[in-house]
Amino acid sequence: MERILIVDDSDMNREILSDMLGSEYNIVEAANGKEAVAILNENITSFSLVLLDMVMPEMNGMEVLEVMEKNGWLNDLPVIMVSAENSSDVVHSAYELGVTEYICRPFDQLIVQKRCRNVINLYSKQKKLAGLVADQFYEREKDSRLMIDILAHIVEFRNNESGLHVIHVQNYTEILLKQLVELTDKYDIDSDNISLITKTAALHDVGKICIPDEILNKPGRLTDEEFKIMKSHSAVGSQMLADLPFHKEEPLVKMAYAIARWHHERWDGRGYPDGLTGDDIPIGAQVVSLADVYDALTSERCYKKAFSHATALEMITKGECGQFNPLLIECLNIASESMRLVKEGSTNPQTDYDVREFASDLLKSDALYSSNRLLHLLEYEKMKNRFFEGITGGCSFEYTTKSKMLTVSANAAKVLGVSETIIDPVHNEELIAIFGKEKLRELKAKFRSLPPENPIVQYNFHIIEDTKPNEQASSNIFRITDASDDDISCSSNANHNVYKLICRAAFTVSEPQRYTGVIGKLVPAESEYGIMKEVDFNELT
Amino acid sequence: MNLHECYNSIGADYDSAVKRMCGKESMLAKFVKKFPADPTYTELVTSFQNGDIATAFRMVHTLKGLCLNLGFNKLQNSSSELTEALRNTDTPAANAAELFEVVKKDYEETVNAINAVDD
Repeated sequence: MERILIVDDSDMNREILSDMLGSEYNIVEAANGKEAVAILNENITSFSLVLLDMVMPEMNGMEVLEVMEKNGWLNDLPVIMVSAENSSDVVHSAYELGVTEYICRPFDQLIVQKRCRNVINLYSKQKKLAGLVADQFYEREKDSRLMIDILAHIVEFRNNESGLHVIHVQNYTEILLKQLVELTDKYDIDSDNISLITKTAALHDVGKICIPDEILNKPGRLTDEEFKIMKSHSAVGSQMLADLPFHKEEPLVKMAYAIARWHHERWDGRGYPDGLTGDDIPIGAQVVSLADVYDALTSERCYKKAFSHATALEMITKGECGQFNPLLIECLNIASESMRLVKEGSTNPQTDYDVREFASDLLKSDALYSSNRLLHLLEYEKMKNRFFEGITGGCSFEYTTKSKMLTVSANAAKVLGVSETIIDPVHNEELIAIFGKEKLRELKAKFRSLPPENPIVQYNFHIIEDTKPNEQASSNIFRITDASDDDISCSSNANHNVYKLICRAAFTVSEPQRYTGVIGKLVPAESEYGIMKEVDFNELT
Repeated sequence: MNLHECYNSIGADYDSAVKRMCGKESMLAKFVKKFPADPTYTELVTSFQNGDIATAFRMVHTLKGLCLNLGFNKLQNSSSELTEALRNTDTPAANAAELFEVVKKDYEETVNAINAVDD
């Protein structure tokens, strides 16, 4: 049965709507915006529709819409505004904030039923369609990439190099392009271009199939004559593409032509075959050229040993391996870490994943974006966490800057006596009462300042049983101190327990890495911490 | 008196209200009977008298919405006027107190009539 969330501060209004919708739906009610956001945050995918009032205490309808928009929830969950506000100003801004429909008062049962049904059907059809398109697109794109990869492998095959070169050049090209887009909008590069350049980068050396084996695989230095033949591969490769009897006007063929022909040009005009200078060299060819040089330097070849990442970077930056666009050198240096990780094989920007990403990007741009699958995955992870936390009775928390929401595990909520979801924790009265405003601010500042390469911080977490002489009941006092404050020994008595609070900051995946929140867990100071100490914290990153 | 007579006596629109509930008088009667116990009005009075205009605005806004749904046209009109008078919560309109008295009168009239409906 489809679930509908009714958000209205008046009991009677909720009841009227609920009665009007009848037994066809499973109705969940929230008395204000904050409750609504907490309910949605917990289990967004179980809902098919939200009926949202505007004027409410705690958090009003507009603020709820803002949170939903920020979290991308509006892509999958339609909202119908129900409000006594009939002024067109309010209705306009509600539409602008992303409501799908608007039902004005007085409520008419038939209209309420029809509108809810129509909106739900529209969204579920669209979701199905989007999933279908994504799957089909994914399959086709996968096949076409496969064909290019096979072709590229054939070129490499004669080269006695495993075919990794092509994949590396593609990966480096993608990293550099993404960095370039972050750095400047000088070049007209969108996600379509990035995908196209990365794909066709596989064909940059296609002309090498015309180079004789003995030159291609000669271990020693090439003679001038041999080098001349070797250099012909770029012109030959592009000619092969230009001679295609079909598809000449396809963007893919044009891009492959540009990359095959000009990936040995130099920024200063001293490259080949055409001696182009500066940005007369198409940006795709410039990037592939740099990726090609970086990979050549860091790989072992029949005529040379592999240089380290740092040496390669230095050689390129100093201009020892040709002249490059200074902007690209900057990109290389900024994205140095990602390049190194790919080189060392510790991350592999899997082409499969890229296709998925590309497919969903495409869908997003057509407003058909289906993040549903992702949400399901996320919820599965949450369920898993809750399950394990439940078994071990662990205390943990998670905070994301995006929703400004602190989620604490059920057990932690019980121990501290706070809600499981807390919006804007620094200003939350329950938390202020426990830890004090200053401490919360200090923690926030600390988490924000943690660098991605060292994102873990530890605290001592004190739970002190506070028994007043004349009172039967006892309550707990909680305190967080720096892990270096060594006041644990003096306080290790029966009613003062010290735990370790281990926190890790989270960051965006793409460069530059931005702080997105923090996760943390409470660990008994003696027992499990003893084991934890043995663990290299870098492994937890 | 019956529900229809009750509606007539307080300037309310019975026919439209029943029609909106797909002709089910029982459903309308259920909510009308709950109306006197709904806390919105009491909270309006308390907050208005305490000078808590923000809450008073929200409450009279809700009251207006309820009246719209139940077809209590007269009370809806007076609560609608008070809603607009309080909308700017920092500087409520000068005649807010007068409008509040009208809402009070209309509300009491409405509730008395509802209480006089035979079960």
